[in-house]
This record gives sequence, structure tokens and C-alpha cells, in this order.
Amino acid sequence: MKKSIYNLEFKLFFRNSSSWIGIIVLLITGFSGLYFGKTFIANQQAVIEKAAMLQKKNTLSNIDHFGKDIGLLFYHNKFSLANAPNAWAAFANGQRDINPYLISVTMLGLEGQIYDTDINNPVSLLLGNMDLSFVFIFLFPLVIIAFNYNLLSEQKESGVWSLLRAQTNRSFQVIWRKFLVRVAVIFSVALLLLFVAILYLHLPVDFIFFSITTLIIFYLAFWFAVSFFIISLAKSSNFNASALVAIWVLICIVIPASLNLFLTRKYPMPEALQNVINQREGYHEKWDMAKEVTMKPFFEHYPELKQYPFPQEKTFSWFWYYAMQQMGDDQAMPSRRAIENKLAARQRFTNTLAFFFPTIQAQLGINNMAGSDLNTHLDFQQAVRKYHEQIRLHFYPGIFLNKAVDSTDIKDYKLEKYSPQQTPSVWVNLLSISILTVILIGTTAFNFKRQEQF
Amino acid sequence: MPNRISTIAKQTFKTVLNNRATLALTLLLGLSLCLATYVGWQNFKTQNNQRLHYKELVRAQWLAKPDKHPHRMAHYGYLAFREKHELSFFDFGIESFAGVSIFLEAHKQNTVNFSEAGFSNGMLRFGEISVAMVLQLLVPLLIFFLGYNSISAERESGTLKILLCQNVSWKQLLWGKTLGIIGVCLSIFTPLMLLTILLWASLSHWQISGDASLRLMVLIFSYAIYFFIVSAVTVLVSAFARSSKSALTTLFACWIFFMVIMPRITQAIGVKIYPSPSKIEFADAIATDIHKQGDSHNPDDPHYAAIKDSLLKTYGVTDVKKLPFNYGGYIMAEGEKITSKIYSNHQKELNKIFEKQNSITKVAGFMNPYLSLKHISMAITASDFDTFVDFQNQAEAYRYQLAQKMNKLQIDKISNIAPGEEEKPLAISKANWAEQPDFNYHFGKLSSVITNELLALSALTCWLLATILLLQYIARWIKTI
Repeated sequence: MKKSIYNLEFKLFFRNSSSWIGIIVLLITGFSGLYFGKTFIANQQAVIEKAAMLQKKNTLSNIDHFGKDIGLLFYHNKFSLANAPNAWAAFANGQRDINPYLISVTMLGLEGQIYDTDINNPVSLLLGNMDLSFVFIFLFPLVIIAFNYNLLSEQKESGVWSLLRAQTNRSFQVIWRKFLVRVAVIFSVALLLLFVAILYLHLPVDFIFFSITTLIIFYLAFWFAVSFFIISLAKSSNFNASALVAIWVLICIVIPASLNLFLTRKYPMPEALQNVINQREGYHEKWDMAKEVTMKPFFEHYPELKQYPFPQEKTFSWFWYYAMQQMGDDQAMPSRRAIENKLAARQRFTNTLAFFFPTIQAQLGINNMAGSDLNTHLDFQQAVRKYHEQIRLHFYPGIFLNKAVDSTDIKDYKLEKYSPQQTPSVWVNLLSISILTVILIGTTAFNFKRQEQF
Repeated sequence: MPNRISTIAKQTFKTVLNNRATLALTLLLGLSLCLATYVGWQNFKTQNNQRLHYKELVRAQWLAKPDKHPHRMAHYGYLAFREKHELSFFDFGIESFAGVSIFLEAHKQNTVNFSEAGFSNGMLRFGEISVAMVLQLLVPLLIFFLGYNSISAERESGTLKILLCQNVSWKQLLWGKTLGIIGVCLSIFTPLMLLTILLWASLSHWQISGDASLRLMVLIFSYAIYFFIVSAVTVLVSAFARSSKSALTTLFACWIFFMVIMPRITQAIGVKIYPSPSKIEFADAIATDIHKQGDSHNPDDPHYAAIKDSLLKTYGVTDVKKLPFNYGGYIMAEGEKITSKIYSNHQKELNKIFEKQNSITKVAGFMNPYLSLKHISMAITASDFDTFVDFQNQAEAYRYQLAQKMNKLQIDKISNIAPGEEEKPLAISKANWAEQPDFNYHFGKLSSVITNELLALSALTCWLLATILLLQYIARWIKTI
């Protein structure tokens, strides 16, 4: 009996052309999101492969050109570290279009190089990427709204509701059944898209997969709860549609956009400009100062380098030059720390806000899991710093002793790939979305109870 | 006949404002507009002041440099900061996604760094509240809400038949309803525009340039057209819809498709069709070209060997050290000339690719008035791609001029005989540094902006004409019942 009722409900649902339109819109945008997301990341992968090739080629041609002067060779030669995308980056491109995923640096001052951006089309950055996470975060809620807004009101407006109430005292069950049908359809579409994503993007079915899937399910459940709450107010279809679209516009666009503006006002970043100036002055001013001014702090920073003889009497030496470069970085340290603190403060602020807004929460959570958020980029920057330091300390002795280039292992240096160390977690994101969902469901249940009494 | 239209318009205006929910919504939107104006203005002020502060600092530091070799100064270089246009508080455009500062030095072209987006943890991706965003995205939503039942409700209540029986024509009805809705719209838009003008005037210390006021006029005019198009579409959808409910859902679906989904898809298609090179590919292509032209580091390079030979011949000397000017400076000037020309050509090519990518979205403006208005608004408030490219070009021109100025100082004032390894380096007086002027960005004129945006402007005009024609002649296809 029960089974056949559900069969009927499904039939009713699929007989409506708008149901099909909703499903088809989700599938088409979902597939195009997959396609564009994958193209975007495939392009980055191709560039990284090409960079690996160019790294070799450029090193050889640099040796050819500047091989007689080891100091000059390392003045020109670049070393590259790539933030290679993982499979999930194609699912959520996140900030990977804005932040450089390939950083090539010489042994000179790092603060003057590490912030160099890739060459981008700012209009593309403004309009944003089309990926599957966009479809899940922005479009699924809209289809959920479209499927649900007239669940109760339509029955009332067509007069079915009063007939039904006269025949059964469990009229709520009818609404509930219709609701479950829609839940089943939406979740099937979502899981279908995720399944296609596994095949198409070659996603590993691992902890990250289950985290993201759970996050998406919770997020969609939140929107069902929102819709059900509005239905429970028992207003007209037009009211429901307007109210739900207004809620969507508020929590998907207006509130995050306003908060972002507030964020930029509250935590401005003049430190970044200050940092450039500090680095530039810290290095360039040393040319006009006694060598002591450079070498004393340099040897304090790297006492182990004292063992190499410093050519004090020479007007110019590479030893002095590289030490001066290091002074730029050392003198930019306070402003660099200030940038890091500011960014951390911004992150804390956003995390707190996200607790109240599931859209922000889902976006941050998915980007975080996919390794395409700002934090991953900052970790990547730290890895570049480490790599830079390691290369400098490795080649300093050869330069300071003015050895032949052939005596170094520079030819063995290839493009390195950065891989994040720790796996992020989504517990906080899940918790906050589920709390909001539960509150909404509670209020909805209360609303329906009250109506049943009348 | 116009009388009747205005009666209908007045009536629509009153009914709409009498509805308490819409009144509340309208007021809320007006409030958020005021807020957006204020915050946009604050944002403009702090960011521009920041940039001006560092601009002055950079200048002071440049002038304070002691006596030194001019080539050291060429490497010390200059920092240029992208200034915001006074109207950019209205529309942020690509401001947050484009870099702010660029380091200009000899031999090397750097990227414009430190965009706000680079410091964002993803929040920016939801958008930024600006006056333009409210007007472009939210006001249409309000118009849809105000007007979705403008005709369909008359039909549902049966008053439509009565109206038409009383010798009111469909044309009058459509025009009247459209004008009534625009009236509501303008009643929040007009005070806001006045506020904007006042704010902007005070920003520029009551010294309003002709160009800027023209810009504002065009801006206001474009938005007014946009609102008209949206209102007319709303009334037409309401006239054709089977019921108020279906009108509302159709309008909401249009809003989502045209304003949320379509911009992303058109741009993604543009990027796909016209792929742009990555930074390393770009740099590699330039390096290859420079290598072909000649390599100033290679003493046997034919290009530079020829220069050397001709110089030796002209001055009748046997060694470059005997030349009456600094030979190293001369060669560097030649190298800078070659490399910067090659670089500029590549940069031009790259910008062309970017423009092609954007052209898909621009052409889509013929299907989607939101996209054409967005482009027009960004261009007029100088927060668009073209302005950014213009900044890059001006910065590069300054960089080249600076490098060549320092090369010239070296050629003229530095001895041709290099000092020994342990001698004092050659230097010239610091008085020379002041000869290099400060970097000042100059915004383009409105006329050039208009020429650049002809496509978007004509798209908006097409929409205007199409809606007018529809309001005039569509009546025969509308069903009364």
C-alpha cells in the first residue's frame, strides 16, 4: 500500500514539466561545471609539465651563457616549485585562478619575488570559475526552492487541501510524502553528479570524498529545511517563492558580499605595500654603506657561513652581493609577519562568520578539502620559503669560494612539486550547518503542530 | 491618449507603494544603496590614500638616494601604484581582482601585484556590495517583484476585461504599467543619484572636471535605460503569463539564468576558445625572440659586434675604451630598446587574447542586457579591463623612459674606463635623480571609453529598441483571458 502511494507520488512529480526542467538544468550545468573545472585544472597541469621541461632547458642555457661566473649564473638561474593540483581541485577551482600555482625564484631576495602573480585576465577572475562546486552551492538550492515552494500552497490554491482535510486527519502525511519524493530526487541527482565526477575527474574514493559528500548532503539538507520552514508558514505560493528567492539572494550574495566589504575595511592590507618598500630599501641602501653593515647581521643570521673568507678589500664581490640581498628579506621580516598576522585575523573572522551562514561554510569547507583555498596557498608560500633557503645554503659555499660551475650539482635541480602535509577536516563546517538545519526543522515541526490543531 | 497612459502609470505607482511588503522592500533597498554608497566611498578613500601615501614615500626615497652609479639607480627602480578613479566608488569592477603595485626596473618587466583577491580566503567570490551591484542585480529583482502581477492580477480579478472594454488599448495599458513601475524605481534611484553626485563632488573637492561629469551623465543614462528594459520585460512577461504565479517563477528563473549562471558560462567559453599563455610560456616566448634578435651578453653576437665595429669606425679608435662616451651604457641602451620592444609586442598580443576572451561575454550582451550594462558601468567608472591595461602600458612606458634616462646619464657622465677591483666605484651626483619625474597615471577621456564600449552600448540600445517595439506592437498576440 505504502509503496504504491510513493509510486503515485513519483509519477505525479515527474508528470510535471517543471520537475524535468529543474533536473535537466542541474545535470547540464553540473556536466558543464565538470567540463570547465577539469579543463581549468588540466591546463594548470600542462603548464607545470611544461615548466619542468623549461626548468631544465633554461638551466642549461644559463650555464652556457653565464657559466664562467658562478655568481652571475645564480643571479639569473631560477628554481621552480609547483603547487600541483590534486584531483579535487577540478571539482572546486577555488582560489587557484587568483593565486600563482607555480613560483619560480632566483637566489636573490625572496620577498621581491614570492608575491609575483601569474598573468591573468582580471575579467575572468571577476566573473568566477564554472565548476561543479558552484553548481552544488548556488544552483542546487534554487532547484530545491523551485521544487518545494508550492508544496502546500498549491494544494490549498487548487482546493485539494480542504477536500483532503475532510477525508483524513493525517493530511500532513501527504505533504511529507511529497516532500520526501523531492528529497529523494534531489539527492539522487547530487549523488549521480558526484558519481560522474569520480569517473570523469578520477577522484579517489577516500576520506576527502566522504567528507565532501557529507558536507554537500548536509548543505542540501539545510536548504530543504529552509524550504520546509517557509512552507510551514502556510502562506500563498507567490509569498513562498518571493521569500525563498529573497533568502537565497541574501545568504548567497548580499550577506557574504557585505561581510566581505566589512572584512576588507576592518583588516586592510597596507602591510603588503610596506613590505615591498622594506625589502627594496633593505637591500638597495646597502650598496652605499660600509660592508660591515651587511656582513655583521648576515653572519649573525648564518654563523656557519663565517668559515668562508670574505673579500673585504674588493669593491664588489658576490659574497657581499648575496648578503645584501638577504638583508632585504631580513629587514622585511616585521612587515612579512604583519601580513601573515593580518591574513590569520581575516581567516579567524571569516570562520566565525561562516558559522552562521551555511553558504560560506560550504564554500570554505569544500575549497579547503580540495586544496584550493588561501590557506593551502599560504602553506605553499612557506614551502617556497623553505626551498629557497635550502637552495641558497646549498649553493652559497660554491659562490663564496668562486668555484667552477661544473663542481656544483645545479644540473640535477628539477622542478619540485609541493604536496600538502596535513589532511584538512570538515567537522566544524558539518557541525555548524547541521545545527542550523536542526533549528529550522524544529521550528518547522512546531509550525505544523500548531496548524494541525486548527 | 497620453493622458490615459499617465493615469494608468499613476494608479500602478500608487498600488505598488500601498502594498506594505513592497514598500518595506523598496525602503530596504534604498537603505542598502545608501550604505553601499557610504562604504564604497570610505573604501575608495582609504585605499587611495594608502596608495598615495606610498607613492609619496617612494618619491621621497628616490630623491634621497646618495651619489651613485646611474645603473644602480636603474636597478633600484621605481614603484608605481595604480590609482583609483574618483567614480570607482560607484562600481568596483575588476578593482579587487587587479594588482595594485608594480616594480619598475631596468631590463625586466614585472607583474602588477597585491590584488585584494590575493588576500581573500574565498569570501570575495560571493561578490562585493557596491552601488553598481545593488542597481544591477537587486533593483531588477525588486522590479520583478513589483511588476510580476501588473497585468496578470488584472486578468485574474477580471478587471482586465473591464479596462479593455472602456476603450483602453493594450498599448496604453502596457506603457502605463511600465511607466508606473519605473516611477517607483526612480523614486529610489533619483535621490540616490543626487546623493552620489554630492558625494562625488565633495570627493573631488567641488572641482568637477568636464570629463568626469560627462561620465556620470552617461552612467545615469545607461542605468535609466536598463531599468526601463527590465520594467518593460516584467510587464510583458506578466501580460503573456497564464497566471501571476507563472509570471513570478518565469521572472525569477530569468534572473537566475541571466545574472548568476550566464556570466560564468560565457566567460568560461571565452577562456576555452581563446586560451592565454601561462607566465612561463609567455616569458619563454619573449626570451626566444630576444635571443633571435641578439644577445648583449655574448661578445661574439653578430648584432652587437656590428654596432661595435661601426662605433669604432665612426670615432676612428681601435678599442671601445677609447670612445668619447661610456660604451657599456650605449650597449645597455640598445639592449633595453630591443627587449622592451619585443616585450611590448608580446604584451599587446596577450592583451588581444584577453580581449577576445572577454568579447564572448560582451557579445552575449545582445542576449543579456545585464552583461552589457555591467561592461558599460565598469568602463565609465574606470574600473574595467581597458583601464587596467592602460595602467600597465603607462607604467611600462615610464619604466622604459627611466631605464633609458639612466643609460643616458651613464653614457654622458660615466668614464669609459672601469675602475680597478679595489677602487671606489664610479658615481654621479644625486642632483641628477630629480630629473626623473614622478610616475603619475592619467585616466583616459570619456570619448575613448565610449569607442571601446561601442559593442556593449549598441547591445543596450538594441534592447531598448526591442522593448519599445514590443510594447508598441505586441498587443495582438496577447490573450485577454
